[in-house]
Amino acid sequence: MSATEPHPWLAGALVPGRFGAAAGEPVRLGTRACELVQVLARRDGDAALQAAIRAAGGPDLPPPGHAAQGERMAALWTQPRGWLIQAGPDAGLARRLADACGPAAAVVEQTHGRCVFTLEGAHARAVLARLCRVDLHPRAFGPGRVAVTPLSEIAAVIHQTGAAPGFDIIVASSYARAVAGMLAAAAAPIGYQVGGDQMGGDQMGGDQMGGDRVD
Amino acid sequence: MIQIACPYCGPRDEAEFAYRGDATVHRPAEEAGFHDYVYARANPRGWHLEWWHHTGGCRAVLKVLRHTATHEVRAVGLPADRPEPPSA
Ligand SMILES: [Zn+2]
Repeated sequence: MSATEPHPWLAGALVPGRFGAAAGEPVRLGTRACELVQVLARRDGDAALQAAIRAAGGPDLPPPGHAAQGERMAALWTQPRGWLIQAGPDAGLARRLADACGPAAAVVEQTHGRCVFTLEGAHARAVLARLCRVDLHPRAFGPGRVAVTPLSEIAAVIHQTGAAPGFDIIVASSYARAVAGMLAAAAAPIGYQVGGDQMGGDQMGGDQMGGDRVD
Repeated sequence: MIQIACPYCGPRDEAEFAYRGDATVHRPAEEAGFHDYVYARANPRGWHLEWWHHTGGCRAVLKVLRHTATHEVRAVGLPADRPEPPSA
């Protein structure tokens, strides 16, 4: 299973348009179509996992709290000796990594198991701060940083992708609809835009999750 | 609300963690010691070495030295660490 399909849970949850407060610059809320694979190093498998990721066009696996971008995929630290590997849609990532890693790592396809929201704009930090407990101030967090932390009460991976600031918010697909509602509610006092003008190459919108890229 | 400085994730609020009990008890080799191992706890007023599971973050199980009266967290380590309670 490699094709990236729309998340059925999200159908109709994020419709294009501008919502919430009408004045000022809105944040942009959307989803990112990509492949996600969880890799966990097995005992004594660390070096072989790193070699496999590098050979597949991935980066040096980043330390806790960080993400790294490779030629063909990004790696997000999520737990001790565990990372989420992210690549563009239809990359066939899980199969390639499972073959490359062999017994060195547990490789688990998560493309359909997780949903990636994008939140961008000058006030994106303020929206996220309503929902999570980590310090997102630039002196404590920044582009390339990752935090595994509950968003409201829902397990999430927060990845700052850009200085704008822009964030990827990765949650279990089964919670995607609840998280869409949470993000919309948190963004409403500031105003938010779904779809429309593009920023950072992301395609926004409810269930239109095709054709965008990870970079 | 206490804060625990996870060695992996940095300082995080108590709400991200699950308390997992006394970190000083050891599984006995003999069946005879099992009642105390499972049920007997010292419940000290003072420094206490305990397990906290970072369930909302990196999922690591941490060893935390906490004062049961003031809730001050003096040390946070990994399971192999042996933080010493302050003598005072
Ligand atoms: Zn942690």
